[in-house]
Order: sequence, then structure tokens, then C-alpha cells
Amino acid sequence: MTVYHQVGHQSDNLLDNENLNQYHGAILSPVNYDQLAVIAQIFSARARNDFVTIFDPQLYVPNSERGCLRKWPYFPSDVDTADLASDSWWQNLVATIVDNIAPMKPTAICSPAVIPKGFSDEYYSRLVLVGRELSRALAGNNVWPFQTAIVGLADLATPNRALAVASILSRTDSERLYILLYGDVHPRIEFSETEELKGAMCLISSLEEAGLRVTIGYCSSDLLLWKAVGASCCATGKFFNLRRFTKARFEEPPQGGGQLPYWFEESLVAFLRESDLIRVRDEGMLSESSLNNPFGKEILDQIQNEPEKPWLALGWRQFMWWFADVEARICKGDVDVDDVLRRAEQNWLELDKRRVLMEEPRNDGGWLRTWRRALAEYKK
Amino acid sequence: MHTPLDLEPIAQAICAERRYRYVGKAGEGAFKQTFHVLLHEGTPQALKVYQPGLSRERTDREIVAMTRCCHPNIGRLSLVDHYSYSGVDHIFSLEEFLSGGTLTSRLSAGPLSRDRVLALGEDLIDAVAHIAFQGLVHRDLKPDNILFREDGVTPVIVDFGIVRDLTLSSLTESWLSRGPGTPLFAPPEQLNNEKALINWRADQFSLGVLLSISAFGFHPFEESGDLPPEIVQHVATRRQSTVRFRAAAQTSRLAALIKMTDPWPIYRFRTASDLADAWRRQS
Repeated sequence: MTVYHQVGHQSDNLLDNENLNQYHGAILSPVNYDQLAVIAQIFSARARNDFVTIFDPQLYVPNSERGCLRKWPYFPSDVDTADLASDSWWQNLVATIVDNIAPMKPTAICSPAVIPKGFSDEYYSRLVLVGRELSRALAGNNVWPFQTAIVGLADLATPNRALAVASILSRTDSERLYILLYGDVHPRIEFSETEELKGAMCLISSLEEAGLRVTIGYCSSDLLLWKAVGASCCATGKFFNLRRFTKARFEEPPQGGGQLPYWFEESLVAFLRESDLIRVRDEGMLSESSLNNPFGKEILDQIQNEPEKPWLALGWRQFMWWFADVEARICKGDVDVDDVLRRAEQNWLELDKRRVLMEEPRNDGGWLRTWRRALAEYKK
Repeated sequence: MHTPLDLEPIAQAICAERRYRYVGKAGEGAFKQTFHVLLHEGTPQALKVYQPGLSRERTDREIVAMTRCCHPNIGRLSLVDHYSYSGVDHIFSLEEFLSGGTLTSRLSAGPLSRDRVLALGEDLIDAVAHIAFQGLVHRDLKPDNILFREDGVTPVIVDFGIVRDLTLSSLTESWLSRGPGTPLFAPPEQLNNEKALINWRADQFSLGVLLSISAFGFHPFEESGDLPPEIVQHVATRRQSTVRFRAAAQTSRLAALIKMTDPWPIYRFRTASDLADAWRRQS
């Protein structure tokens, strides 16, 4: 039960931030850092007790131009012409990854995976075969294998599909799964398809019940749903594009998504722009969690005393602190996700009653009904 | 469908050439016939003669699978060879002869006691775990394929005729609506030919059905009055097991059977050691 930091562009400085020490691990990025930089991150992490470093080879879209990725020695030179249905191609790739990454001594390595054209049984079986290959190759290396699984959210909306996918993925030899929920929803926008969410929750809970430890990568506020059904770990990052796994993320500039500062507000389970934050603050509706958030306090002080000063970087930290804090509270049983969502929906209704309208028209809490319904129907 | 050849003359010819004593026919399946023979020193053996013209690859896989397994509750293969009869090449094998009869004949007298089911389950789970460890799925566990040694209590799994080697490509065409196996004992993924879902947990399901019938005298998905095709349909469409089955399993303190026979592999025991532990905890 923990949270990991999904490392992105210029975000390694957050690994040592004392106010973010509830993060017990980092998912390292070969896209944003070269080999020497990642070695330094692993080395520095070793000084922290039990801090986990997970290397994700990030070959999701292998033929895309993505930062430092092509400079890594495991990056396949024949990626444009390779037959991705070939066992030997994957065996060679896994062997090369292990040869190059295991000596760097991360705690774990994720199996390579590409985003498919369609999420078929054959695709998921291939993921398991590649994961099995990684487990074999890492035997005796004292490095954990993580079974990566990119799972199509839309695919999970089909009744019972989640159980079929879970049945295939649970054939893995690894005890740990790294699940990336693939969708086409923009990074800052909330998921809002009930059946997809129910399918994802069913997938996560059934894998956990089978004794596998599930880590959900690229989470946003949806961690609430994943934790409600027992996900062992969730990962997030400072940029919005590190909080959602979409095709669009591979087309964005390396600096990340939109550069407007956002505040995450638990009382509404929503991201707020500055003007909306001020509205909610003035209505006295900021949550206790927000008021205890050290980065939140800084932001509020700054808005009060230095209104011209940008707070983009503080906004990233404010969200990351909340993410780790709420996860800890859920695990301790101090927070019930159902209550958080119900109260948030009521707060949105109250704002509407008071005629407090957000600057962003789409920011109306409408997804909360979907989430609550998904959770309630899932529990049935 | 061609009529299977009577292989008895071939078995007798093999015995004559090898100086085995022919005792008689012991069984018959779709792919082969089994004969009771005695070696020179009087050791009883099962001579299995394969039908000619059947998939050579499947026969080879059966033989390779049996050679790979070495377990007290799995039939032991001692020889594989060819014999030419009337210009046709026949594969034959010699396996240990199990004289204690089949589980089917035991069950004809009614369900077994709880202690017997527990002991039977423990032995067969261990054997299934061994098969799984070899990367194999037997796919045809049923009372006909459980024989007993001469002591009458040691069960032995036989007939690897449709064994699936998970490290090799499947021999079942994807377009087939149903995979091979005996429908009444097969899990949904086998009945629906969902290849990606098949691993050792398919054997776990069949074993669960087999042990349920041994314990209660009925199939976990059998409503009163159901005929076998209806039971198979309930399994194929992934209905939940019946209330009377679950009640019987709980009352008899054999609740592991409920998990073993879940329609979805993800809800069965994920590892063979998890299953073995859960089974032993019932004792």
C-alpha cells in the first residue's frame, strides 16, 4: 500500500523533497533522462530506506521520437521493420534490457510493452509471454520483474471482459503487475464512462484477490476509485501528461501538458484554476486536507501576498502531496472513498445553489455521479 | 468421421514379436486402444496402440508430455516404438498396468467418504501441480482417466492424449467453437475454445468437478433433473455453480471445491501451491 512518483521532465528534484516523503518509490523515465542521470537517481534513492526504483523501458510507441529514449542501448535498432509477433524479437529485446539495466541495480524492471491497434486476447497473451521472459532473465539478479499490461479502458466496458483480461494477465510469473489504463480522455479531464470504470475496478480487484500486487501507473484523482477496490500501489507525476495514459501524450512537447497552474481540491475532487480556487476559498469550502497541505498553504499565502507570482510548480506539488496523503488515509481506514465522492457531489450542488460558477465551463463535478454510480454498481 | 480400426490384431502381433504375453483388451479411446500384456518376467504392462493416420504431432506431444512427467500419481511410460503391420506404421507404447480399476467404477457404488475425497484430492492436486510445473495442461481429467494402483488407494492420472504444451503453439484451430476435452468435465475456457485463458487452472476446474462428483454424486453446475448437455451449457455460458452444490461443499467442509470450479480462471486458485494449501486446510 503505497504511492510511487512517476518521474517526468525535470522532476527528479521532487524525489528528495521532504514534504513528499510519503512516496516510497519512483518509476524512472528513460525518455527524460539519459543512462547516467538514471544511474544517479538510483544511487541516490539507495540512501533512503525501502525506497523503490522501478525502471520502465517505455517502448509504448517504439517508433516515436521521444526525448532520450533512442540513446538508450536497449532501444531496438530494427524497430521500424521488426515483426512484433516474433518470439525471438521479444526475447532479444528483453535480454538486451536486462543486460543493460539490471547492472544499474534498480529495485525492479517493467516488461516492455507496446500500445496495440486492438486489445485482443492474443495481445494480452503476448504481454504475459514477454513478462515471463523478463522473469526468467532476471532470475538471480535480485531485481524484481514487473509484468506490464497496457489495458484498453474502452475494451473493459464490454460485460465480463475484465474477468477474461484478468484471467489472461494472471498467468504471469511475476507477483507484481504494472497496469496502464489506456484511454482517449485528455489528461486533465476526468474519466466519465461508468462501464469502463466498472471494468477497470473489476480488473484491479480480481487481480488483487488472486494475490497479485497491482500498481496503477499514470493516475490522476481516479486513484480514489482504484484504491477503493484494493489496488496496492498508484503512481502519479507532476505534469498532467503523467497522470493519464493516452496516445496524445506521445505527441506532446517534452515539457508536458498545459502550463496553467491548477490546485487540486478534495472537497470537490476537482482541479481548479486560480480564479476558481479563490471562489471556493471565499465560500469556505476548502477541505481540511487542502488546508493542511504544506504546498497548499504556500499557494494561498502567495495568492494573498504576492498575487503576481506564478505558482505552477507549487501546484504540481500540492497535487502530489494530496495524492500521497489521501492514499495513506484510505489505507489507514480514515477515509471512505464513497463518502469523499458523495460529499464532493453535494459540495458541487451547494456551489450551484449559491450560484458560484467555475471559470472552466466543463468543471462542474458532473463526473462524480458517474464515479459514484460505477462504485455502487461495482460493489453490487 | 472414419470408423476406428480394431487394433487388437496389431497388439497381438506386437506381443508375438516381442515375446510379451497377451492378456486382453483393457480400454479404448478415440486415438488409441489399450491392452493388458505381461512382459517376459511377468510384469504387467499397458500396451497402447495408436490409430494410424491421426495427427502425428498430437501423438508425439502426448508421448513427450508423459516422458517429461515423473510422479507417483501419473502413469509411467516405459517404451515408445513403431510397428509396421500390413504396410501401415503404428506407434505403440508400454505403460505401467494399473490393476486397481477406474474412479468411474468406484463411483458406480455411490459417492466416496469425506476422508477418501480428501486423500484423493491431495494426491491428484499434487499430480496436477507436477503437470503444471512442466508447462503442461492435461485437459481431460475425468473419472475414466483416474486409475488406481494394485493397492486400491493410490490414484494415477492417465491418458495425455489431448495434453496442451503451453510452450508450443496450439494444435486446436482458433475457428473451432469448442476445444478438445470431455465436455462434462471441461471448464468454460475449454468449451468455448478461449485459448488465451487456458493454463493449469483448466485442469483445476476439471479436478474440482471430478472431486465434487466423488464427494456429492452430482456436478457443481447440475440442477436437479438436468441432462449432461444442459450442464455443459450452464458451464459454457458461465453460470454460477448451483446453490445446492455450494451448500453441500460448505456443509462438508470442502469449500475449496467452490473456488476450484469458478467459471472464471481468475477466481480459481492462482498457483498450485495455493490450491494444495487450501485443500490441506480442510483436513
